[in-house]
Amino acid sequence: MTPGKTHDTTTALPPHRAELARGWRAGIARMRFPQSSPLEAFSILFLIGLVLIAAFADFIPGLVNPNFPYGDFSAPPNWTLNGLFGTDGLGRSILSRVIYGARQTLIIVTAATVISMVCGIFLGMLAGYFRGFAEHGVDLFANTMSSLPPVLIILALVSVTGTSVLTMTLTLGILDIGTYARITKGGVISQNDRDYVLAARALGAGHGRVLLREILPNLVPTLTAVVPPLMAGLIITEGSLSFLGFGIPAPAPSWGGMIAGSTDLISRFPLLIFGPILAIVLTVYALNTVGDFLARRVDIRERQL
Amino acid sequence: MTAPLLHVRNLSVTFPRGRQSFKAVDDVSIDLGPTEALGLVGESGSGKTTIGRAVLRLLPFAERNVSGEIDFHGRPLTAAKAAELKAFRAQAQMVFQDPVSSFNPRRRIEEIVAEGLRIQGVGKTEIAERVDTALAEVGMSRSMVEGRRPHQFSGGQCQRIAIARALALRPEMLVCDEPVASLDVSVQARVLNLLRDMRRARSLAMIFISHDLAVVRSICDRIAVLYMGRIVEIGDVRQIFERPAHPYTRTLLDAVPVPDARAKVVPSPERAVRASRLEEEGGCAFRTRCPFAQDICARVRPELATTPLGQQAACHFPLPAAAVPA
Repeated sequence: MTPGKTHDTTTALPPHRAELARGWRAGIARMRFPQSSPLEAFSILFLIGLVLIAAFADFIPGLVNPNFPYGDFSAPPNWTLNGLFGTDGLGRSILSRVIYGARQTLIIVTAATVISMVCGIFLGMLAGYFRGFAEHGVDLFANTMSSLPPVLIILALVSVTGTSVLTMTLTLGILDIGTYARITKGGVISQNDRDYVLAARALGAGHGRVLLREILPNLVPTLTAVVPPLMAGLIITEGSLSFLGFGIPAPAPSWGGMIAGSTDLISRFPLLIFGPILAIVLTVYALNTVGDFLARRVDIRERQL
Repeated sequence: MTAPLLHVRNLSVTFPRGRQSFKAVDDVSIDLGPTEALGLVGESGSGKTTIGRAVLRLLPFAERNVSGEIDFHGRPLTAAKAAELKAFRAQAQMVFQDPVSSFNPRRRIEEIVAEGLRIQGVGKTEIAERVDTALAEVGMSRSMVEGRRPHQFSGGQCQRIAIARALALRPEMLVCDEPVASLDVSVQARVLNLLRDMRRARSLAMIFISHDLAVVRSICDRIAVLYMGRIVEIGDVRQIFERPAHPYTRTLLDAVPVPDARAKVVPSPERAVRASRLEEEGGCAFRTRCPFAQDICARVRPELATTPLGQQAACHFPLPAAAVPA
């Protein structure tokens, strides 16, 4: 869409539509990541690209099915699409498995993040707003969770329930509840001191309204800044579990599982481990970089307000 | 005297400070008439703000310890249920010291002004109407504020919007907590005039908290002087300003800077020191700074009593008339 064309349509619209369009354009302008360094911009674009490729993997022309052999066993990388990262011990395309593995990983990690955010924000708001017993309980939970090694917790859970995508998601979702709760609690406590919360109460707002409509919107920047690094942590945890064989069940591709598979052959085919490792390293790096970028923007915002 | 709108008896508020506790308000009793403006005056930490918030039931519920009675329209507020409290919210409103921080930075002004009405369940068309009226009353209009957020307005404008937000609910009582302290002097006058006009037009009762004696004098009918959480003197504006009975009030009035560059202000060191609030002690809290302190002041805590001058003061040795040079 050219700017000139947009301008023409808005002038033709009745005033309220025109205002709507102006709001849209302001929103798009804000999406241009102001004050991002080249690496941060690269990270953002990489993540957007990763999501798009994972989402539309079925429509990439020429990409073979990740679960069926496509060529020689353990073929070294070459300059064809499916052979870019080589083939694994069963002759499957590693690139295809990395892409479908990305889809699996992103779905699991996103769902787990939603679970831990919803539970964590809920608990954190109770703790920060009502303090007292609620705070002690949530603190105890958060400290307990952070003092146990995550892999141990998950191994305990998975050995009871068995491995499946669902249990994987749920167990990963439990891991970060404490962290989100603690961050939310701190935010609620600091916002609660501000006069606008007092003003809302003076106007007759109930607890729910104060928490959800007054305080929560002001926590959004802080919370979004911690999401990417925590997601990165989940990707690593998911990778290590798959590596240990407690991840997603066998035929489905997963990054950790692929690394585990290629370590058997690493002395003879060292190049084949690069695909999944590159995927994990780049994704985790990009998520952490985006996290830093968002955190810095929160800082700038806070200073402006 | 007509029945008071607000009736406060033996209000005490303590905040926990680790093992100890901090008595922010100590046994305060106040009556506020239906159209009266009462000033609460005192130095930082004297309990002014805490009284204002306690009266509106706005203290942080996690760490407060409130005792005493607060009646509004003869009904006990301390025992009010949620629905009753919500109705009370429409009748008693507050204006804060820092207008910018009293607005949610993520809201638009028209939402902020309408918020109270929306919470109270007023219909949509009436909300629009009352928001327009309230904005007009503070010298603003919908077209000036529409779509804007608090940080786009100056402190004075924000304070006027805050007053509009409070008045949109048509309250009977307004608690103003240092409403002009964070504003430029030129803007202060405008906001003060606005508050005075509003008070007259709507026959509002007002509790006006300030450390600025001139401001209080310009707007209030009665003044309560607070020292360390207790009322040390309460009386009409004229009584307090012209013939203070309590030595602390006298100190406050003496501390008002005189617009004379040659005049030297020499605070006597011992009278500038305050005792710790954490240790509970008998006697008059002001005695360590009081030039007239005697043995009895350390032993017996003075109660509020009517002085020969007409106002009430909590002092064993109230000052005689005409103690302050004009």
